[in-house]
Amino acid sequence: MWRRYLRFWGPRAEADVDDELAFHIEMRARDYMARGLSATEARRAATGRLGDLAAARAECIAVTTRRERRMTRAQLIDAFVYDVRYAVRTLGRQKGWTLVAIATLALGIGANTAVFSVVNSLLLNPLPYPNADRVAMVYQEPTEGNSTGMRVFINPQPRIVRLWKEHARSFEAIEPFLASDRAMRLSDGTVSTVRAAFVLPSFASFTGTRPIRGRAFTDADHVEGGRVALLSEPFWRSRFGADSAAIGKSITLDREAYTVIGIMPSTYRLPRLSEAVSDVWLPLDLRKEGLGLSVIARLRPDVNPATAATELDSVYARSELAKTDHGDFRTKLSLPSQLVSFRDSLVLLSAAVALVLLVACGNVAHLLLARTATRQRELAVRAALGASRVRIVRQLLTESLLLGVAGCLGGLLLGWLGLNALIALRPDSLPELAVARIDRVTLAVTAGLAALTSLAVGALGALHALRHSGHDALKAGTLGLSQSRRQRRLRALLVVSEMAVSTVLLVGATLLVRSIAHLQSIDPGFEPRDLYAVQVGMPREAYPTDEARRAFIAQLAERIRSAPGVAAISVAAGAPPGRNFMIGALQVDGQPAPPPGSTGFVDYNGVDANYFRVMGIRLLEGTTFTDTSASARQGVVNAGFVRKHWPGQSALGRRFRVVYDGKEEWNTIVGVVADAFTGGLTAEAGTPMVYVRSTELFEPVVIVRAVAGADPIPGVRSLIRQADAALPPPTISNVDNAMQRSVAGPRFTTVLLVGFTGLALVLAAIGLYGVMAYAVAQQTREIGIRIALGATQSGIARSVLSRGVVLACAGAALGLVGARWGTKVLEHMLYGVGRFDAASFAIGALVLIGTAALACVVPMRRAVAVDPLIAIRAD
Amino acid sequence: MADSTTDFLKGTLDLMVLKTLSWAPAHGYGIARWIEQCTDDVLQVEEGSLYPALHKLEERGLIVAEWGVTEHNRRAKYYRLTAAGKKQLAASRDYWARFAGAVFKVLETAPGTR
Repeated sequence: MWRRYLRFWGPRAEADVDDELAFHIEMRARDYMARGLSATEARRAATGRLGDLAAARAECIAVTTRRERRMTRAQLIDAFVYDVRYAVRTLGRQKGWTLVAIATLALGIGANTAVFSVVNSLLLNPLPYPNADRVAMVYQEPTEGNSTGMRVFINPQPRIVRLWKEHARSFEAIEPFLASDRAMRLSDGTVSTVRAAFVLPSFASFTGTRPIRGRAFTDADHVEGGRVALLSEPFWRSRFGADSAAIGKSITLDREAYTVIGIMPSTYRLPRLSEAVSDVWLPLDLRKEGLGLSVIARLRPDVNPATAATELDSVYARSELAKTDHGDFRTKLSLPSQLVSFRDSLVLLSAAVALVLLVACGNVAHLLLARTATRQRELAVRAALGASRVRIVRQLLTESLLLGVAGCLGGLLLGWLGLNALIALRPDSLPELAVARIDRVTLAVTAGLAALTSLAVGALGALHALRHSGHDALKAGTLGLSQSRRQRRLRALLVVSEMAVSTVLLVGATLLVRSIAHLQSIDPGFEPRDLYAVQVGMPREAYPTDEARRAFIAQLAERIRSAPGVAAISVAAGAPPGRNFMIGALQVDGQPAPPPGSTGFVDYNGVDANYFRVMGIRLLEGTTFTDTSASARQGVVNAGFVRKHWPGQSALGRRFRVVYDGKEEWNTIVGVVADAFTGGLTAEAGTPMVYVRSTELFEPVVIVRAVAGADPIPGVRSLIRQADAALPPPTISNVDNAMQRSVAGPRFTTVLLVGFTGLALVLAAIGLYGVMAYAVAQQTREIGIRIALGATQSGIARSVLSRGVVLACAGAALGLVGARWGTKVLEHMLYGVGRFDAASFAIGALVLIGTAALACVVPMRRAVAVDPLIAIRAD
Repeated sequence: MADSTTDFLKGTLDLMVLKTLSWAPAHGYGIARWIEQCTDDVLQVEEGSLYPALHKLEERGLIVAEWGVTEHNRRAKYYRLTAAGKKQLAASRDYWARFAGAVFKVLETAPGTR
């Protein structure tokens, strides 16, 4: 026995072989001595007969060691298989318990899987490009004068990009690109809008993509003027029936013919996640000026983004361009993930599901504790029968690991369902959600989470069981008093933590709900109902000059005005929800002139005389435009503008101008209008804004006020077709719907957070229910005695309820402290409500305590229903 | 002992060990002595190869070892034949008999009789 024990630790093989050989020599020597040899001679002869002793010994040791190692492995596997079988059997015996435990784990893990798959696809791995960790978006920011309260990105001009490409050394590649709509004329004469992407030939190698048919762009295509096109695979399938003969065909985009030279796979994507897959790819002409370009670049391996950005700025500063160009921009590099609009929400939701998992773990720990309590006897028996502590702990851990595996599989299923639901229900404002997938990383993380949680929870249960697997457990019918008290304390601690975590979530969810409620109760300052925005895309090829475009729109507007169902129209630079900016610095009467070249952004809209009436924006003071000629230079400002510049005074007759090169004319304010949320409901209320006459519009919008209840869209569409059949179909949006969409993103986040909070709350309530039910069951006899001694039913009920509520209050108090710190995540997501909003904190705590009280109802009933006779006699 | 008996022994050592153990469990020395006695000391087991052979047989699962006590109250490692060992012994025995018979035939056949 002793030796067996030693064998586990010591170098068994050597000792054994030495023993065996020594025995042999001894026996042989004894033989020789019996034949008359002296002891030393006999020993020498015996050793001699063995020949090369060292070699024999070494061979024996090698063979034995090899065999033992194999046996140990086999034993371990055997033991594990046994453990698993045993665990399956014990778990199977308590199906209800097992199901609840697995479901709880699956819910917690599933929520994490769903959210993590989004985080993984959008934030951690947003681009399917090679060396994506070195890929960054390049854009410019104004150095000063950004008064919009938003981050403003400026797309670099082609001349600047050319400069960068030529001189910058920090990059392996700099890839400018553009995306815009083109009107494609089909063979049957109809016109449809296609999404076109403009890229350089090198973009294909930058993204590591090859055409699936034909060839990609070459530098020659660019030199020759680039009338060639690539089709995207989905477009090729839907429009050309996946016919290889499409290559070589000519397609007409904006009245220009392009020759199709190849088909690109659907994985060939522009880096902006929100960008729908492009239909056609056209060569980007870097020599053409005018449009700002989006730029993506791959850094050299050893260059950090800040250094690279500085280099780009110094390349520009050293160039001839810097002497002639206005504008003071600083170049910024940012990872594509930083441009994901959903980023803040994702961080928030990740935190939320982590908390949900914590609560789920708490519950499974409860379940395991309750089980070890009832299994105390079984474990004690096994210990008495010689099972070592290691063995018992291993058994318990195997059980929880098995739960973890089942929970993981369930979680994957729930996560997959959840992700699909998430994608299906995503608002239009979050198109990038569609790319989220459960990939290998997500699988690994899910498995890791499951292993971690089940081991942590299992270890807690095992430690607890170990501490109490003493002999007294064998003797006692139930737990000893001190043990049950210790267990009760542990479980109370667990439930208080669960309650605290739920409170944090509740407060956060309440804050978001109140924020959404605020957004939806906003008076937008105009009447969005029955309002439509009609945007006509006019190809530059057909309408080359601004005059031509304006003339066409003016003539079109006249026709639309008399269309059926149309009450009134206005032509403006922009329609809600949307913000238009004038670049330059605002100067009002009495202020010194800003230095030339300062680049601020002034909220403005270029409008006609009808605009305020059509929109339903109230005139507060003065008049709207009286003189419709451009030379009159009249201006209208909103109340926020007056509050900022001349608080408490009249603005009428005062002047303002937006200075860019210093030669701008002054506008005289003729009217003040009410603040309106034309920038969308999430814009800041009362942002200063100016309205000027619409004389220099590039892409005007026709705003249509419909007769209440009428649908003017079909009429307007046919009017536009009549005006120019070659135009792509116009974009017509219902302003009311669009305004609602501006809060769709926040609302989506809110719905998700409320869902996760509900999940956590239900789990925590189940946890509390378990603790209370356990306590009542443990104290049945005590309760029976109290009833026998004359305690009233309400007194018993009160004592149960108060215990539950005390636990809940402790949890709520802890949770409120946590929430004060935790709501920081929400800071930028709240509208019209502060992150320390007292009402939200109070509501969160009250909902928690109310739920806790509900969870106590059944245990309370059970306590009241205790029959003193049975209870006292029992056991 | 560098004569033909050594090589002859090497191939048959396993077989003899198995055969020895088929009567009763024995320790290594016992096995060596038994073989020597059986063959009237014609075959002397080369002890340097006996123990490695035993360990290899144990590894192949033909014999198992356990520690026991000798009649002199001395701790020794006893080997016992397993079921697999018995099967192996039967198979080897047949093979050996046929082999030995064949060798005999060769040796007995006078030249020119064929």
